[in-house]
This record gives sequence, C-alpha cells and structure tokens, in this order.
Amino acid sequence: METLTPRPTASSRRDENRADLRVTTDTSNSEGAVGSDDTVPDRIAEQFENIKQTRRRRALGWLGLIAFLAFTTLQAFAATELLNPDARLETFRESLTGFFPITDYFGVIPFLDVGRYLEFISQGNLLYDPEIGGLLFQFPPNPADIYAFFFQELGIFQIFGEAGITLAMGFVGTILGFPFALVFGTLGSERVTPFPFNFIFRGTMSFIRAVPAIVWTLIFIPFLGLGPSSAAIAIAFDTIGNLGRLFVDELEEIEDGPIEAMRTTGASKPQIVFFGMLSQVRTAFIAWTLYIFEINVRIGVTVGVIGAGGLGYVLASQQNLLRFTNMMATLLAIFLLIISVELFSQRLRSRLRSDEVEMSIWELITGFPRRMAESALK
Amino acid sequence: MTYIDVDGLTKRFGDTVALDDVSFEVPEGEFVIVLGVSGSGKSTLLRTLSGLLSPTEGEITIAEEPMIDPRPEVAMIFQQHNIIGDMTAYSNSLSGGVHRSTFFSSVLQLQDDEEKHRALDALDTVGLLDEAEQKARSMSGGQQQRVGIARALVQQPEVLLADEPVASLDPGSAQSVMNYLRTASEDRGLTTFCSLHQVNIARKFGYRFIGLRDGKKVFDGYRDDLTIDVIDDLYGDIDTEGMFVSDDGDADAAADGVVST
Repeated sequence: METLTPRPTASSRRDENRADLRVTTDTSNSEGAVGSDDTVPDRIAEQFENIKQTRRRRALGWLGLIAFLAFTTLQAFAATELLNPDARLETFRESLTGFFPITDYFGVIPFLDVGRYLEFISQGNLLYDPEIGGLLFQFPPNPADIYAFFFQELGIFQIFGEAGITLAMGFVGTILGFPFALVFGTLGSERVTPFPFNFIFRGTMSFIRAVPAIVWTLIFIPFLGLGPSSAAIAIAFDTIGNLGRLFVDELEEIEDGPIEAMRTTGASKPQIVFFGMLSQVRTAFIAWTLYIFEINVRIGVTVGVIGAGGLGYVLASQQNLLRFTNMMATLLAIFLLIISVELFSQRLRSRLRSDEVEMSIWELITGFPRRMAESALK
Repeated sequence: MTYIDVDGLTKRFGDTVALDDVSFEVPEGEFVIVLGVSGSGKSTLLRTLSGLLSPTEGEITIAEEPMIDPRPEVAMIFQQHNIIGDMTAYSNSLSGGVHRSTFFSSVLQLQDDEEKHRALDALDTVGLLDEAEQKARSMSGGQQQRVGIARALVQQPEVLLADEPVASLDPGSAQSVMNYLRTASEDRGLTTFCSLHQVNIARKFGYRFIGLRDGKKVFDGYRDDLTIDVIDDLYGDIDTEGMFVSDDGDADAAADGVVST
C-alpha cells in the first residue's frame, strides 16, 4: 500500500500543473486579444471565466461520480464472490469439447461436428415432428390426412415439435393477455380514469410485473400441473403487467386535439376514449403487442427450463444428463426459433409503421428477390 | 331573433384575463368572423362557446339553453384539424355522428345506411367524395381541414364554430377551405363563428365581424363598418396597410391578389 500511495498523488499533481499551464496560456491569449481590441474586454472575460468555472465544477462532479461507481462496483464484486471465484478452468475446457464436438472431415480436416447437432435436432423432434408432419407431406397428398392434420391433430404448432410448443406458449400467452392488458392499460391511464382511481389498475399491473413469469408458472403448477398449460397462463399474466404498462405509457403521449374534437361532437365517454384516444395509438399498440410476443417466446424458453416443456425443458434435461453436445444443439434450435420470430415481428412492425400502400401477399412473395437485391445494393 | 346570447363573458386562467366582459347577440344563420391578433382571446371565445371551457363569469345561451358542456348541436372545427390520422376520410366523417349511435355500433361501424349516406354527403359537400377511402394522414393540410368540416357537418349541428380553420394553410387552400365552409353553412342555414387573423380573407367571406383586443370586445359590426381605422385599432402598431389592400369594398380582388403572389 505504501508504495502505491505516492504514485497517484504525483500524477494528480502533474495533472494540476498541466491544467495550470493551460489556464495561464489561455489567459495570456485572451489578454492579448483584449490588448488588441479595447471594446470587448470585461463582459467577455467575465463570461469566459464563468464558463471555465462551470466546466471545472462539472469535471470534478464527473470524477466524483466515477470514483463512487468504482467503489460501489468493488463492493458488488465482493458480494457476488467474484473477488475470489471458485474457478475451474479445466472442467470448463472439458465441457467446451462437449459443447463443440470436433471431427475429422475427409479423415484429415478437424472441424466442428455439425452432424451430431443435426442428429439430436431431428432425433429429439426439436424443430419438426415427423409423426404430425407426415400427415401433411406425403405423395400423393391424402385429403383425409390433411383434414386430420388441421382439424383432428390441430397440428399447425405441433408440426414444429418442441419449438412449436415453446412458440405456442408465447402465442397463447400473448393472445390471452392482450384483452386484459388493453382494458387495464386504458383504465390505468389518468386521462380515462381520474387520478386516485387509475392507481387501482396501475397497481394491479405493477404487482403482476413484480412477480417474474417463471414464478407465476410455479404458482399455477398446483392448478394446471407442471406443463405447457401453466406456462401459457403464466405468460398471459406476465403480458397483462408488461403490455398494459406499455399501453399506459403510450396513452400519456397522445394529443389533446382529437379528444377535444370528439367531445365537441357530443360523443359519450366510451366513444371519446375509443375515437379520440385509442384510435391515435392503434398502430403503436399493435407494434407493442408484437414486441411483447417476441419477449413471450423467449419467456417460453425460460419457463421451459423449470419443466414446463418445449425447448427449455429439453435444454434443462440434457444439462442434467451432462450431454453438452445435445445442449448446444438445443441452443441452436432456440436461436433459430427466436430469430425467426423476431424477423417476422420486425417485418410486420415496419410494414405497419410505414405509410406506403400495403403489398399484397402475391407481390410480397414474387417481388422478394428484387427487393432483396435492391436492399443489398443500398 | 336572438339565437346566441353572450352576456358579460369573462374567462381567467390564473392571473391572465383571456376574455374580459364580452357581450353580444347573434341572430340565427349569421356568418360571424372573429378578428384579432394572436392572444387576443379569439380561441378562448370559441372554446367557451363550444363548451370545452367553462366561463369564469357571465353566461352563454344558445337556443335558449345555457352552454355548460359540449353538445351535439354545436360543432367545432380546429386549426390543427384534430381528425384521426389512422382512419380514412369516410370513417372520420362518420365519427361526427357517433352521438346518435351506441358504443358498439359506432366502433364496428354498424350505423344504418342513412347515417353512412350522410357521411358521404358531407364529404361530397367539401369536395372529397372520391378521396373517401384515403387515410386522413396521407392527405394534404387543406384536405384534412375539409375532412374536419365534413365531420362537423355529419354531427348535424345548428352552430358551427371554426377556430382559425385556415391559419396553417397556404393562401390557395385557405381560400378553398373558406369557400367550402361558407357554402356548407349557407346551404344548411348554420349560425357560424369563424376566427381569423388574415384580414383580407375575413373581408372576403365575412358578413358580421367581432373584433377582440386583449380579451375585450372592441368592434362589433357589419361589413360596411369594417374600415381601415377599425383594423388599425384591432392590430395596434402593426403596419396593416399590406393586410388591408383596399378599403373601397374591392376586397375580393385584394384577396385574389394575395393568392396569385
């Protein structure tokens, strides 16, 4: 410690010296300017001095803040046991060879063994369930099987195997949560419900948000058992809290004009809310709902880990078996699922927000190569 | 026959006096233009007449009923249009008449055909029948204002209040919007209040004028009474010669001259 202390003092003294030097050059410059032109001096010099003072005070403030942050971070490191971690590099390196299996291609080139990932993805029905998909994809097509696929097996989500279950959890959660979020969000806005009463709804949503979705799943297990159903209900609950909050915030931003206009038409209170307020935020509400759908699919993975099914459950069980290669394969499937959902939702949102005339589905498909080429050339 | 009776109207916002003891009477069917500089109390007068604001002192009576809250017989047109950008011109027009239908039928647009014909008829009155299916957001400022007029007409009002309806429009659109406004109010026999700050447009379209300065009524008269001295009094030290090109009654030509420049 003793050897350390003098060093910062010396450097800070050097800094001060440098600062002094700079200040003196500055003053000499301004004095020179003053000398050449007598009409400017006092006011400008005074303002210059003011600015210098303010900047110095601000710099001190920043320094203090950084010092405080560094001190606090150190304490947090201690609390998280990162100061003397129980690190086992050897075990981690071993697991990495499990996560990323290497094989010799053509007997000579060592590279990632993608085949083993693909094997588990197809064997575990991670992305595609052949039993259900077989009904749809056969040659020649069998009408009875196609009917069975859509109306008996209800296979639109199940065809995607475990990923389909995770996706369905997020989807059901969003659909079930949306109407409640809409009602709570609208009634939670101060412009719809007068001040103290809107906190009944805001408070309810805060409470729902305070409990994470994974805990809501635990709460619903006694009711619906450990499985996708309790996960979906838990996600719906979570949606009420989060989406409703976004709705409230969005409603704070609206303009008074259309509300006043609807008031002067003699519309009833619900009509004023719908035409004057909600119609202003319709696009924003749809966009937020799509965003929450993205998040809900991710939550679907998380609650799966505690046993609710889908990709999260596969991930957790392979981790328990210490089959790291299979775990990595599941992670790949999760990555694919999340990326596709995000791409879909983002395209839809940007289409909603743009003022352009909407494209028909036919245009959307046939024009794709051209649009792709255009955006690649930009 | 007095239709609108404003008696000793005073409106204060905190310490600011926006309207100071304003009184006047307007018979049915008159086209009244309210003149004055920004901050003279024009908007406050119209908003109080519409029931959006309640008077601090004094009373407003329309059709022998005191005006306390907004009511369907009194329609308002705003400077900022205040139509709903996400809806089509037709839906906006239709929303003027929601006070005649229940919540669900108005939300799902299940009104009867008569109501829907009325909305299209109003759009026709303002020359926008062909643009009925266009999103309001994608329309020009003048067209949006005309949608605002259509919505007010679908309301089937007896009184039409227009708060600076052309203030944010270019001279050409301003003229056309004012034309539609006057035609609509003449055809339907509406008592109309229109606040303006362009003197040339006011002289071209006005019949009766009420002048406000610092919240006080300083002028109340008909077209012939509106002389250059009155305008000078209303607009104070500002050089009004450019705004009032000719005071020999040939205001139409003057207004047209402004458009062409």
